[in-house]
This record gives sequence, structure tokens and C-alpha cells, in this order.
Amino acid sequence: MNSNLFIRELRNNALSLVIWTGVISALTALTMSFYGIFLENNQNILAMISILPEGTLQFKGISDVNDLFSVLGFYSANNVIYMLVLGSIYSIVLSSGILLREEENKTAEFLLAWPLTRGEIFFSKALVVLLNVVVINIVTAVTGYISLEIVKREPFSTDAFLVMSVYTLLLNLFFASLGLFMSTLVKKARPITTLSIGLVLILYFIFTISNITEGLSMIGYASPYKFVSLDTLNPEYGIELTSVLYFFTFSLVFMLFSFRLYRKKDIYL
Amino acid sequence: MSTPAIDITGLTKTYGRDRGIEDVNLRIEEGEIFGFIGPNGAGKSTTIRVLLNLLFPTSGKAQILGLDVARDSKEIKYHTGYVPSDANAYSQMEADEFFRYCGRFFRSDGNERRIRELTELFEVDRRRKISDLSMGNRKKISIIQSLLHKPKLLIVDEPTTGLDPLMQARFFELLRSENHRGMTVFYSSHSLSDVQMLCRRVAIIGEGRIITVEEIEALRKRQLKKIYIEFNNSENNTVMELPGIEDTPLISGRTVKFLYSGDINRLISALHDRGIADMTIEEPSLEEIFMHYYY
Repeated sequence: MNSNLFIRELRNNALSLVIWTGVISALTALTMSFYGIFLENNQNILAMISILPEGTLQFKGISDVNDLFSVLGFYSANNVIYMLVLGSIYSIVLSSGILLREEENKTAEFLLAWPLTRGEIFFSKALVVLLNVVVINIVTAVTGYISLEIVKREPFSTDAFLVMSVYTLLLNLFFASLGLFMSTLVKKARPITTLSIGLVLILYFIFTISNITEGLSMIGYASPYKFVSLDTLNPEYGIELTSVLYFFTFSLVFMLFSFRLYRKKDIYL
Repeated sequence: MSTPAIDITGLTKTYGRDRGIEDVNLRIEEGEIFGFIGPNGAGKSTTIRVLLNLLFPTSGKAQILGLDVARDSKEIKYHTGYVPSDANAYSQMEADEFFRYCGRFFRSDGNERRIRELTELFEVDRRRKISDLSMGNRKKISIIQSLLHKPKLLIVDEPTTGLDPLMQARFFELLRSENHRGMTVFYSSHSLSDVQMLCRRVAIIGEGRIITVEEIEALRKRQLKKIYIEFNNSENNTVMELPGIEDTPLISGRTVKFLYSGDINRLISALHDRGIADMTIEEPSLEEIFMHYYY
């Protein structure tokens, strides 16, 4: 860890953190403000949903239409898109670019000529990624919680809300470490952002398709989304040990491999 | 014997389709200004990037100030400065911010005086954003950055690209004075004239291999000239037998073209009664020298 580099990286990435956090928080608050209208028009909504193709709700992680009318179910269905997809895109784009950007902008020739070990560079930057991902998760969760408190018509389970927030953070950290790993594998920086975004979307689609297509449920396990439980209204809802193990193992393995690769990486410019 | 500033033995770096470098051996003593020349793509930057540990050697080894470039990279960099050929510094920073950022990586931090000295010498506006600067000014930023911590060894890669003649002269003057104070300079360039002005010894690299390491004086003594002669009529256009004509003269119509390394006076006296319409004497390009001597 090098504090000079760490602080510089925090500053470099601050604007994008503020923008992403702001946009996702605003979207969350805005969507939640429609909850009242949504509830009052429940008959119309049900009629509308009935004409949608089967699987549309699954796409947002909803298995029962009626779940949508509880405030937590409504929040969860939107949070899927905002934090589980957009938040993951933020995490992977940030992490896959943080080392490669120095190569892309040719600043690596300065950075690597200064007295720093590869390990110091790697960990200073990885720590910035970790911090940013944690910050965006905390801020959006707090916004979500406040919105829930404001629009709710009946009490909801704070525990369930927290469990879902932890799942979101674990998933985002998974993508962050995957991004670092990918960036240490490639030689050229340019295609990595597109590739990262594509990967998040593909993994998400694999998960949804496995949910709505009978016989394909096994392929869901190829996607980390399979290990995120959104069953917030289930009284048994909690953090599953398998999910925790899954996310910790993969994140650690990706980090470890990225570090080892980066330490010996040839930097081409 | 003192520890050499740079000691490279049997260094090879191969990658993909690019040639890289093969079996490079170099020893640069402390206090030298050492030239490293070769055409583009010959392996100059690859060699430097191995020294800086951007690239890992395929085989062989390299030491700087007695330390291994891969294993002791961090320790080495407290004592080395580097001016990369691409002057792409952190474009979003102001010049001043960049110097401070860079200074904080070194143990000696309070180098405000040094920054002032160098920015005044190169007439750099410290408040300007690096992205708004011209190529030459960005080059000055890299040069200043490389010298802030008073390195024992300075590695420069095409440092004069974009610098105007005045700044180039100041840069050379600065290198000489820092060299007097004991700084070793490893000067990589494709320009023979830059290297001739500064260095005592030079290594020539071509196609990834060191072709020769020579004293500049020796290189200068057998300096080639490129001679074009246009005669009044083609009958005079006979091949001259003169020591110092280095290749088979190319004859077409009334013109003759050849490389000459002998005494210019003898050439002139051999030509004076031959009826010359026009004549030019040129410095051959570095490539032509390579082609002539080494292939």
C-alpha cells in the first residue's frame, strides 16, 4: 500500500463515484415514490401484468405478482436492475480500468519508474476499488431504506432489507475482483470496458433464462446471480452459507490470481 | 573496480510477433554519459523497459548500481530518473501538482527549491494543466520530473523530441552539469548528432542485437559522407580509383553517387579537372551507416 498513490486514485475516481451513486440513489428514490400510485391502481397493474409475456417478472427477480404490492417486494424488484445490474457494471468497469488505464494513457511509464513495488501499486488500487464499491452500496442502501420508510403503508422487515443489501455488496465485490482479474490477463486496455459490461449482462441473462426456461435451471449456476437470494418476503429469508462461501471464494481467488499475474506482468505501451 | 551503473549480461526479451532483444551485453560505468543508438524498432525501448522492470527478461540479467532490476526494482528507483519517449504525463493534473505527486514517492520530499530551479530553467508554467501543453512543454515536464530527486542514474529515451534548439541546448547543459556532479546518463536516441554532442561512448543496436560499442571519436573518424557528382558530360563519368570510396559507385547518365570515408582534399583534387556541373556532400543517415558497416 502506498498512501500517495491511494489518495491520488481516490481523487481520480471520486467524480465517477459521485455520479454513479447519485444516479442510482435518485433512480431508487424516484421509483419508490411511485409505490403509492402503484398500490392504488393495483387492479389495472394486475391486468397490465397479465398481458406481459411470461417471465417478464422473473427478469426482475419476482416469482409471485402479489410480492410486488408489498413495499419490500416492490423495492427488491427495482433494486435488481439498479444495484444488482448497474452497481455490478459500475464495480467491474472501475476495477477493470484502474490498472489498465495507466497502460492505456501511457502513464505506466512514469508510475513504474517511481519507487513502488508492483504489489504496492496493485493493493493501493484494489483498496480504492473496495472502498468505492462499499461506499456506493452504503449510500444507495441508505437512500433505499429512507425511501422505504417514507412510502411504506405497513411495516417491512429491516432484517430482510439488510440481508438483501449484503447480497448486493457481495455480488458487487465479486464483479470488482473479476474486473481486476480480467485486466491482468489482457495486454491492451481498450476493449476491456465493453467486455466487462457485456459480461455482467450476459451473466444476468443466463440467470434469468435459467429461471424461466424449464430444463435450463442447471445453467443458472454458471452465473453469480444464482447465488443472490431475493426472496425477501419469505420469513426464512437470510444469508445462505453456500452463497457466502461462493462469493468469498471466488472474490479471493480472483484477487489472488490478479495479484500474482500483475506482479509478473509485462507492461506493453 | 567500482560497481557499474548499468550491467547487462546476455539479456534476451522475446515476445509475440515483435522482435525484442537478443543477447544484449552492456556495461556502463558510473559517471559516464553513454549513448544508445539505433533505428526505430531496433530494441532501444525494450532494453530500457527491462531496466525499468516494465518488462521481465526472457533470459539473462541486468543490474543497476549493483542491484537486480527485477528483484530490487523499488530500491533502484530511488536512485534513477527516467524520461520516457512518449511525453504522456498525467494529463489531468497541473504541472505543479504532478511534480508534487511525483516528489512524494521519494524519501526526500521538500524539493520546492529544486522544482523552482528546474521550472525556471525550462520556462515551464507550473499552473498549466498538462493536457493543455504542447508536445515540447510536456517533454520538459517529463525531464523535470526525472531530475527532481537528484538521481544517480538518468535514463532518457528520445528526450529532445519536440524541444526547440534553445531548450535542447539548456537540456544538454543541464545533463553535463549534473554529470559533473556524478550523475550517470544513459542516452537513447535515433539521432547520431545528439549522441555525438554529449557522449564519449556509444552502443549501436540493430534488429535487437548490439552491433558495436565504440568511442564516439572512433565513429567520427570514419565518418561517412554521401557524395553526389553531376559531370558536364557522361564521358567524364568514369569510376574513380580512390582510397576511401566505400561502395561501388552508382552511375546513371552524367551522375555518380557513392559513400566516401577518405580525405575530402584528395577527393577534391581528384575531381578538379573533370568538368563538374554540380556536387553535393551529405551526412548519411544513421540507417545508411548501419547498412554500410554492419550488414
